[in-house]
Amino acid sequence: MAVDEPLGEAYEEKQHQAAYIFDPSDAVDDGTRPAKRRRVSKKLKKSEAHTVASTSVYPRLFDGAESERCAHIRQQLFEHTWSKIESRIQRILREANQSTLRQVTSFLQAAPDHAPVGKIPSAFIITGPNIASQDLLFEQLAETLQLQADASVVRLRSGDASNLKAILKKMIHDAVAKVTDDEENDLEVAVSKDGRRFLNYDLEALHTHLKSSPRRHVVIAFQDSEAFESGLLSDLISLLSSWLDRIPFALLFGVATSVELFEARLLKSTCQCLYGRQFDVEQSATIVAKVFKAAVAHSEAPLRLGPNLVSSLLERQRDQVASIPVFVSSLKYAYMCHFYANPLTVLFSEELDEDALHGENLEALRCLPSFRHSVEMAVKEGDIQRARLLLEDDRYLTTYLRDRLEHFRHWAVKFLRILKIITINNSSSAGLADMYLDSLLRGVNLSDQDAEIGESIKRMQPSDSILFLTRLLDVIDNGDPSLGLDAGAGDTEEAVMELSDILADIKRLHQENEEEGKVLRSKYSGQSKIVRTTVVAQKVQLSRDTAALTDNDKLYTDLMDRVLEQLRIVLRVEGAEDLVFNEIWLYDSKALYKDVFIPRPRGVGERALSRPHDYLGCSCCRSREDQVMPTFPTTAVLYQLYLETGSLINVADLWSAYYAIVGEDNEGGLDERTALVLFYRAMAELRVMGFVKQSRKKADHVAKLAWKGL
Amino acid sequence: MVRTKKSQPRAEEPAPRASPRKRGRDEPEEPTEGTPSRRRSSGRTGAGAGSRTNGRANGSRSEYDFPSDEEVHASNSAMEDTGTPRKRKRQPATATATPRKDDAEAATPRGREGKGNVTVTPSKPNGTAVNGETPRWKRNDRSARKKSARALIEKVVAGESSDEEADEDIAREIYESSEEEEAEDGDDEEQQQHQEEGEEGPLNEAATPSKKPRGGRTKTTNKKTTRRKKSPTPPRDLPPHEQYFAQNRPGTSQKTSNNTLASLQLQLLTHDEYFAVLRDWADPHADDVAFLQAIHGESFPQWAFELAQGFGICLYGYGSKRALLHRFARHIYDLHTAAAAAADHCDGYGNGGNGGNTMKVVIVNGYVRTASLREILGTVASAVDPGYKLPAGGPSAVLDSVKNLLSSHEVMITVVLNSIDAAPLRKPGIQPILAQLAAHPQIQLICSADTPDFTLLWDSSLRSSFNFLFHDCTTFAPYEAELDVVDDVHELLGRKARRVGGKEGVTYVLRSLPENAKNLFRLLVGEVLVLMDDDGGSSGENPGVEYRAMYQKAEQEFICSSEMAFRTLLKEFHDHQMITSRRDVMGTELLSVPFRKEELEAILEDLMS
Repeated sequence: MAVDEPLGEAYEEKQHQAAYIFDPSDAVDDGTRPAKRRRVSKKLKKSEAHTVASTSVYPRLFDGAESERCAHIRQQLFEHTWSKIESRIQRILREANQSTLRQVTSFLQAAPDHAPVGKIPSAFIITGPNIASQDLLFEQLAETLQLQADASVVRLRSGDASNLKAILKKMIHDAVAKVTDDEENDLEVAVSKDGRRFLNYDLEALHTHLKSSPRRHVVIAFQDSEAFESGLLSDLISLLSSWLDRIPFALLFGVATSVELFEARLLKSTCQCLYGRQFDVEQSATIVAKVFKAAVAHSEAPLRLGPNLVSSLLERQRDQVASIPVFVSSLKYAYMCHFYANPLTVLFSEELDEDALHGENLEALRCLPSFRHSVEMAVKEGDIQRARLLLEDDRYLTTYLRDRLEHFRHWAVKFLRILKIITINNSSSAGLADMYLDSLLRGVNLSDQDAEIGESIKRMQPSDSILFLTRLLDVIDNGDPSLGLDAGAGDTEEAVMELSDILADIKRLHQENEEEGKVLRSKYSGQSKIVRTTVVAQKVQLSRDTAALTDNDKLYTDLMDRVLEQLRIVLRVEGAEDLVFNEIWLYDSKALYKDVFIPRPRGVGERALSRPHDYLGCSCCRSREDQVMPTFPTTAVLYQLYLETGSLINVADLWSAYYAIVGEDNEGGLDERTALVLFYRAMAELRVMGFVKQSRKKADHVAKLAWKGL
Repeated sequence: MVRTKKSQPRAEEPAPRASPRKRGRDEPEEPTEGTPSRRRSSGRTGAGAGSRTNGRANGSRSEYDFPSDEEVHASNSAMEDTGTPRKRKRQPATATATPRKDDAEAATPRGREGKGNVTVTPSKPNGTAVNGETPRWKRNDRSARKKSARALIEKVVAGESSDEEADEDIAREIYESSEEEEAEDGDDEEQQQHQEEGEEGPLNEAATPSKKPRGGRTKTTNKKTTRRKKSPTPPRDLPPHEQYFAQNRPGTSQKTSNNTLASLQLQLLTHDEYFAVLRDWADPHADDVAFLQAIHGESFPQWAFELAQGFGICLYGYGSKRALLHRFARHIYDLHTAAAAAADHCDGYGNGGNGGNTMKVVIVNGYVRTASLREILGTVASAVDPGYKLPAGGPSAVLDSVKNLLSSHEVMITVVLNSIDAAPLRKPGIQPILAQLAAHPQIQLICSADTPDFTLLWDSSLRSSFNFLFHDCTTFAPYEAELDVVDDVHELLGRKARRVGGKEGVTYVLRSLPENAKNLFRLLVGEVLVLMDDDGGSSGENPGVEYRAMYQKAEQEFICSSEMAFRTLLKEFHDHQMITSRRDVMGTELLSVPFRKEELEAILEDLMS
């Protein structure tokens, strides 16, 4: 009660109104309000002064010491960068469905020619369990079919209609309304030629309408076919097929399981009305991999998302079939968090103006662990002068910062290129994601951690190594647009030249050997050891021999050694955590993401009720595990008692137990009626939270519904 | 190996009493339920067991009356007090059961009059009586036990080989299980004694929370394990799922005391008293609650940003979030009036006029029982255009028109939805519409959820439409507008709250109905009572009679000749909320009556006379 009091009268008046428009201006304001409003508005006016009204404003960080402008720059940077990423993602999502769209369209276009008479052409689209992205798919289908196949498309969802009449109503309404969008249209539908009014679920209306605006198809799309009641679907299909001679129907079914299972739910006679084909949709795993490339790994993405975060995102995607939109929103949220709460993100800005580099920001830079580490390194190396400059000279620090940020951009591109090269051999893009997560923090170094990769390259057969080198050079020459990689070798020009020479040599050797019909091999390749079996005095002797290497083989071995040597130079990059100022562009916090996207309401509720002190922070309720204090909020006391009960609870006993804890017998206890009032309130709360429900088994008993920790 | 194994039973023999036994072994249930009551009833009234239930039903009937605002209800629990307590010595029970007994005794609550009953101490040993009263099955069991004991000993002595191990296992099992029974035997005695004590004052049984002020209580796992079969309170350290199964195992009788609020001489609250007392009460935690709210209030700018980025926000956690959301609504409102003012200086405050990027806040209270989609959508529409008329038709048609309306206006609507998981919004079909509304780019949705399981409302498709971010907003603020506390609790307790006034009401209604309506109701009540006796299922609702079956019965009894007439009769009952109808998982319609068993019995009696 006390809490509610300052909230004005309107609040109390309208609390039992189901819905109303909030307008505090007609409520009487009390003392505290206007002060607050003034403060907010003043702040806003200033920051909004130089822009058009944008709806939200970043707070000023550093306890408000950050300048308005910086906060504003951060917001703009966020909006700018994310909109670029989002458009890339949208493109991918739309492209992902292209092939399905084309197939379905061509099927429907050709259907009239080869479909047997009296059967409705139907396309079964196997969408898989990812129902969340179905909407996009069907939206695209509707668009494409309308444009290319001259069809009018009606999309139906199981929730839309529960009986045949309702479905027909919606179908006819949508099919007619889509075309004209006029008000007079209603009239047109409602009245037939002879002036008779149609019922709004009479297909005759649609028929009449089609006469005036002919269409090649009327496509009915069932987005979640499995969710429709099977009887309803059967009825509808047989009805439609009886109209097929007048209205050119075609059906689309989104099927999450399989066509066989779906077919089993329909009547046999219904199935015979359908003439169908099955279409597959690109699976969500590959789409996720593409989105990963475009949004996380892409060279233009300013933020590097760390492996902790991204791997938990991908894992959730795999294990829980979370939808792709969720994946995208999670990425967006990571960006939002970083730009919203990290004042240094202002340094992303292209033109690093002096404003951004004011006192607090520089101070914060000097506090970064990576910066401190680099200063310590400088001291260790004896470069005291530089360390001092870094710590004391703002100007020097600024130049250093610019230099490092530039370095970061190079590093990002180089890192991607290396990843691309390493993953040349496994074509799946999922490999790229794994590799990215593996090596983002610690970098790539063929000689130690990634020796395995080197070994596998060394063992390559000539044909493989030719392919590998060709692709490698191709990657370097052409880049990869899906990752935003440009052409160019960067700082490893020489190594690349060397590699292309080697490639030429290998090709030549391979050629020669093929002409002679021999196999070219190196001493590393698997078959270099052969086992000889000799029979001596009726005993089998096994002996291992190193197969003699021909001259060409030796040459090839040398070449492979050189390849590896060059690769060691090319494929070498430090990890993100080794770079100075990585805090600016590296975001790797999983906790926020988990809190916000994967809530644990049960756990939170249980914790609040079993240890209210955690939230209230009062002195009176500090308790040990599982201990009840009389000062607990009533519901918490009852909850503790509740935990001790069986699945049936005697309210009378619960009350006496409760009263024994808080009642007059105790110090500072409550009198009976007050305790009863609180008891009532707590019981009602337990009920609304779904912990208890009525039980008629015994008088004054309630049933227990929730078990802690489940 | 065999040898060592065999010697084990002997060595461990005393142990099972103290150590946790293998769980999940079932034993006949009959003894635990039947014995004590049979004994007691014969001891007390000398009447048969059958008359006991009747007597109790009659005796307690008047307790369930609901106190009206004026009437002071006099408890007639005196009737129960008249029984002569029979003192009986506790079985020199297993050592492990004893501490529990002491515990319970110490914890036995006494009436506020201070009449303690700790003094009820065993006075006469009657170990022999037990033997005499032991039913046949128990004796049989005993002999089986002896036999198995003998078999075990013989085997140990003879040192036979392992192929008989299976037999041995059975023997051992019999031995152990009967041992357990013995322990339970003791418990039965104890239980009985409890019940006798209970006649003098409320008793404390296993299923009810212990009453002692906590803290000094040590965990005695021993007593728990010995009594596990009977006690619905399993040991405290069970993992949650085990605890669940322990308490819900089919066949576990839920032992709770027979206390009622009436027997505690407790007068239930009336609305007036509730609010009067509440007004005078000062919450000692008010400051802390306010502080919590203030902490949450600091996230307002962040929430506003998240909303602006197209996310929805869902606040969860214990406590009413209505006040918090109201403050947030104010925050958003201020933010936008200020922004509008900044955008066009000349115009002064943005008055929500047409054109321009205006912003409206719509507050929806999901907990209001009459909340409907139409009202919600209508309010949203009128926020866009006050003169807008909703089209007729189903929710999806209305939604379409509202969406069109939104798209044609440049306006942002922030929907502040209190209790998205409240009962009115949990009806089928509502959440998808809300999700579609929330997915509209010009709608920002921030809502609160009160139940801990609210996430089950949405599948992945709805989740991505809502695009929710979840924030833990535990406020500890009391639910005030959300709950109708007094009615809710009374409904929970089965006291009539919103329907016809119990037995009297029903008779009153029936009096004005034709004869065949009375007959039909009598038939229905009879059927429901039979089902109640049969199933005793765990569901809170009364069992239902299938609509078809009911119709056929009614036809056979010449109550009605057509389904039409049957329907008409039912309709009448429905109007007076004398029957309920629901569908089971298979979709068959079930008819039932919303009264408690005792009331039903009384009604039936009334109708028969």
